[in-house]
Amino acid sequence: MKRIVASLLFLSFCCLGGTTAEAKINVVATIPDLAEFARRIGGDLVDVSSLATGVEDVHAVPMKPSFAVLLNRADMVVLLGLEAEHAFLPALLEAARNPKILRDGIGYIDCSKYVNVLEVPTRIDRALGDQHPMGNPHYNLDPVSMKEAARAMADGFTQNYPEDESTFKKNLDALEADLDTNITRWEREAAPLKGKKLVSYHPDMVYFADRFGLEPAGTIEIRAGIDPTPGHIEDLIDRMRREKVDIVVRERHYPAGLAETIAQRTGAKLVELPAMVGGVPQAKDYVGLIDYNLHALLKAVQGGA
Amino acid sequence: MGFTLKNHRLLRIGLAVAIVGMLSPPGAYGQTAEDLQRDLKAMKAELQQLQEKMKKQEELIERLSKQKAVPAQPAVSAAPTPAAAGPPAAEQEQLERRVTEDILRKIQPSLTAANKTFPAQFNPAIGLILDTVGSYKENERGNFEFRAAELGLSANIDPFARGYAIITGSSSGFDVEEAAIVTTSLPYNLTVKGGRFFAEFGRLSKFHDHDLPFVNRPVALDRFVGGESQADGVEVSWLSPLSQYLTVTLGAYNKLGADNQRVDNTVPRDFSKFTYLVRPATFFSLTDSNSIDLGASYAYTPKVDTFTQDGVEQLRNGKLRELAGVDLTYRYTPLSQAQYRGLIWGTEALYNREDPNVGDDTTPVFRRRDAFSMYSYVEARLTRRYYPGFLFDFAQDPNRIQGETKAYSPYFTIWLSEFQRLRLQYTYNDEPQNHENQFFVQWTAVLGSHVHGFRDR
Repeated sequence: MKRIVASLLFLSFCCLGGTTAEAKINVVATIPDLAEFARRIGGDLVDVSSLATGVEDVHAVPMKPSFAVLLNRADMVVLLGLEAEHAFLPALLEAARNPKILRDGIGYIDCSKYVNVLEVPTRIDRALGDQHPMGNPHYNLDPVSMKEAARAMADGFTQNYPEDESTFKKNLDALEADLDTNITRWEREAAPLKGKKLVSYHPDMVYFADRFGLEPAGTIEIRAGIDPTPGHIEDLIDRMRREKVDIVVRERHYPAGLAETIAQRTGAKLVELPAMVGGVPQAKDYVGLIDYNLHALLKAVQGGA
Repeated sequence: MGFTLKNHRLLRIGLAVAIVGMLSPPGAYGQTAEDLQRDLKAMKAELQQLQEKMKKQEELIERLSKQKAVPAQPAVSAAPTPAAAGPPAAEQEQLERRVTEDILRKIQPSLTAANKTFPAQFNPAIGLILDTVGSYKENERGNFEFRAAELGLSANIDPFARGYAIITGSSSGFDVEEAAIVTTSLPYNLTVKGGRFFAEFGRLSKFHDHDLPFVNRPVALDRFVGGESQADGVEVSWLSPLSQYLTVTLGAYNKLGADNQRVDNTVPRDFSKFTYLVRPATFFSLTDSNSIDLGASYAYTPKVDTFTQDGVEQLRNGKLRELAGVDLTYRYTPLSQAQYRGLIWGTEALYNREDPNVGDDTTPVFRRRDAFSMYSYVEARLTRRYYPGFLFDFAQDPNRIQGETKAYSPYFTIWLSEFQRLRLQYTYNDEPQNHENQFFVQWTAVLGSHVHGFRDR
């Protein structure tokens, strides 16, 4: 018995005492987009893992106990914020028993800090759906907002590890320069999309549309988070025909059938898009994600011309 | 680029002036029209001054921008050095900082005034759950049962702990179902919980009635645990530092189970009369979409002694009671379709050993009894709304006087939204002296704050 207890204690101390001089900073990101940014800003100093793989709905990432283990060991957690991760992160943080990364802890890095938030509700009421009281949280599809997220992340890293500020700053500058180059290219490429109307399943595309000049014309959901009824679908189809909506976007984590039917009945082009890095094999990184989405929409618009 | 930046800066300055104008706090109540006019004049003068100052600053910015646009050090080197752009850049930076500070100084009082505080802002998050059931049972006939209105309150207490309470109003009155303090910052992955709470025994024992996947709590849990695993006491839980998820919970309680009549909850007692619990639990991720939760629970009461309830003596022989359980939950959750596809299979088996009085109050006869119970259910997620399922329930009589009870319950849950649910259930109840068909309709709704708790997964 004594041997068993001694072995367990030894094992525990080995695990607890795992932080050595060369140990990397352990970062857990909620989605792969933020994980990639954390890798780029942290460089060789960080070891990053992501809770979501990229194919999930950010509002329905399964709450796996193994995530609690990851978070237990994390020095910092980076998240979209604006309650995007409401369905899984608060409970996981509670289960992780890591005071450093609890909300408002120094290791809790909310990347929405500098984002110009869209669709901030003027009235909070469940009759208006599963609202995000602080505004639409799907800013990861807007590269300019993601530049702000990167800045918030670098700030958070610096606050935790001021001795590495110059590394974070240098890496952030490189990331921003890379994004700037691509943003210029994307804005040029997106010109044919200007003024095109789109309906998406959930309000995931609001920031993307705002950045590239598309016009959101409603959602297949009645309200955010509320599945459609037949009456709503009929109204939506009538409105789409009247307003000559060009595109129906099915975010790939929503069911296919209904979006297809709506596209067929209205003559709009159906485009299936990922909402995160890793959502399709081509979206290997953030640039790949925006490239994929932009080109899929361009193909739909230009192919139909 | 310089032109764009300048425009942004001018826009910000213009906005700041507008904010100052709009948000400047109004005068105190009781001011006369003359006072107000005087204030207005003063504000206009201040605004004019500010505009003039800003105009000068704009001119300076423009001048500096032009200077910067002219190449200062041509042909010195291919790449411009920081020193080459030194003095103008530093001046511009200094000017920008001065303008920013000036604007912030002007608007700060208005921002502070807009950011109102009020005494209620430290109130806890509040949610209310309404649960009502209509039933028809062949023997008992029909009933509309207002099952509960559960008021949930939760908030952080301080940097070291949080607290929550669930207060239930039902046809039998008001009751504090849970009211507990939970630590949040203990070292070594420890959490301590104290107060009244649902003890970590098994899986569904910790669920409130309205959170169960079916209408009624399985007989297997009702008889062996005593409904919900409510307990007054203390629990220490430890998360292992290993990469494999493993928690171990130890607990000590007055008694275990809200409806457990074996022990009195209200009187002081020797340590030998508390109930002690140990529960290890782990999790295996088979693939990204398939996983298994596995747990074992053991509750031990060294002495179950006689006590008096409502003036009536409840006879016990002071022997031990042991209750053990194993729970296994398999989940299939396709990651990209988690909102509308999935399957869950949950099973718990319980074993109870005690010395019940199998005689009567005048001639008590205590006999060692071992009894077994289990339930198993499977539930599919067909769409975001529709969740059909089937529950099988089996329980021996813990006293082993009566025969076994079995129940078969197909059910169908319709999620109208995340906050409202309808459930239809049919149960064929196969119990000694009570073989009947039962029909249920359950309507449940959540108002206000809600959380996705880890223990309810």
